[in-house]
Amino acid sequence: MEISVLFFGVLAEVTGTSRKHYRDIESFDDLKHRISDDFPDITQYSFRIAVNNKIANEESLLRHDDEVVYLPPFAGG
Amino acid sequence: MHLANGPVPPGAISELVAKGGQNHDCGAHSLFVGQVKRDQTDGKYVSAIEYSAYEEMVIGEADKIYKSVLSEFSDVKAIDIIHSKGLVKAGEISLLVMVSAGHWDHASRACAKTVELIKEKLPVWKKEIFEDNSGQSKENE
Repeated sequence: MEISVLFFGVLAEVTGTSRKHYRDIESFDDLKHRISDDFPDITQYSFRIAVNNKIANEESLLRHDDEVVYLPPFAGG
Repeated sequence: MHLANGPVPPGAISELVAKGGQNHDCGAHSLFVGQVKRDQTDGKYVSAIEYSAYEEMVIGEADKIYKSVLSEFSDVKAIDIIHSKGLVKAGEISLLVMVSAGHWDHASRACAKTVELIKEKLPVWKKEIFEDNSGQSKENE
């Protein structure tokens, strides 16, 4: 399946991009591994992951065309 | 909830107060105005903050903030939030919150609670821009 991944805040700086498209993703775990392989430095930061606007957990499943978002700690205000 | 492009114009304050005046059940409006501060880090001064937001999630999270504040403060009649996205220079407004309630104590405490939840729950990030045009992401303290 194809998945769009968005990076915000410091993670956009670490990855050098705010959006990346992945193809042939088999599972959520597969995507997370592909991302940490592409951007090894990302693992040094704390973040949560959202799938289609909702915070994901270990049991979250991905579907074709889902949007996955890497969210560092919020800093509004 | 509204995301403003760039700074929140000071005129937004009088617009919100005028809007609040249309609700005759309110006896108090409490305002919070957050502005970009000329902080100093490692000898460099902040000239602006660049805000980014996950806009698709901001509205949903703002709704949760409204519900949470309304459940805690039953006297609250309305909550308005305007947050900046993009570049906001030092001295300009980046956050405006107005909470309207029947009485001052709920308006005041609910406004503080709303600001607290915005900082904790709203998917917004800030990058400090220094006077030498360098920049760094910053978390809330």
